[in-house]
Amino acid sequence: MARKNRSESCPLDMTPMIDVVFQLMIFFIVTINLTDTNNPEIKLEKGPYGTLIDNKMPKTVLTVEVDKNGRISINNLRMDHNTFRTIVKARYNRIGEFPLLVRGDYRTKHQDIRKVMDMCTELGIYKVWFAAIQRETTSGQSAARP
Amino acid sequence: MKKKQRKEVEKATLEMTPMIDVVFQLLIFFVVTLKQEDILSHLDVVRPAAVSVAEKNPDDELLQVTVYKDGYVLQGFPINRAELERKLTQIASYNSKVSLIIKCTGDSPHGNLVQLLDICAKNKMTNLNLFSM
Repeated sequence: MARKNRSESCPLDMTPMIDVVFQLMIFFIVTINLTDTNNPEIKLEKGPYGTLIDNKMPKTVLTVEVDKNGRISINNLRMDHNTFRTIVKARYNRIGEFPLLVRGDYRTKHQDIRKVMDMCTELGIYKVWFAAIQRETTSGQSAARP
Repeated sequence: MKKKQRKEVEKATLEMTPMIDVVFQLLIFFVVTLKQEDILSHLDVVRPAAVSVAEKNPDDELLQVTVYKDGYVLQGFPINRAELERKLTQIASYNSKVSLIIKCTGDSPHGNLVQLLDICAKNKMTNLNLFSM
């Protein structure tokens, strides 16, 4: 009698809940990306009609970020103009012409973008792509934008 | 008798509570730190090379848009964004091969340029040359 009572005092079956929780855990562990590979301060302009950036894009494309004060970074690593020029030059010598993808903040003055483009044009890169937001997600980078 | 009862109790107790606590802590951490990325697009332009403009096909219609800090100028006439979109859509509807020369002033925000490029992408204009001034 006493035994029956004890087993009834915990009628909530834990097993399905633990299953679900583990599934969720594994999902979040796999999808999480702790290191920011791009500068989170950059707020892009909307461009719903542009070509989608996906993994069908050529692998050679070099992404450069220009923040609203005109500072350059690649993969969230800030650098000065000379370092950037060296990188572009080395890349150009290694693989030839490649498209340059500029992630420019919508507030960046064009003259700062121009400096970046001019450096590339000097070295023979004429194709420039500008990144824009095709579709916003709820918690995305531009959520704070009015 | 006493011994037997104790054995029974030990068999039944696999403590779930601490494990569930830890798993929930981890789960909440991952849910909170998850950040969904926006879906991005790219808008393409060609920078003028020293010779490319001279090589342009003379039959192509050339259109000139200047991007200013607070608006646009189409073929010499100041115009706002909505008007520009309407005009470019109109032009593209009978000649989508029109070449656009985009001039961008140094103090205009990058967003204005991207908006213009987006209008061009909407109308499938691909012949875009970007000049800075």
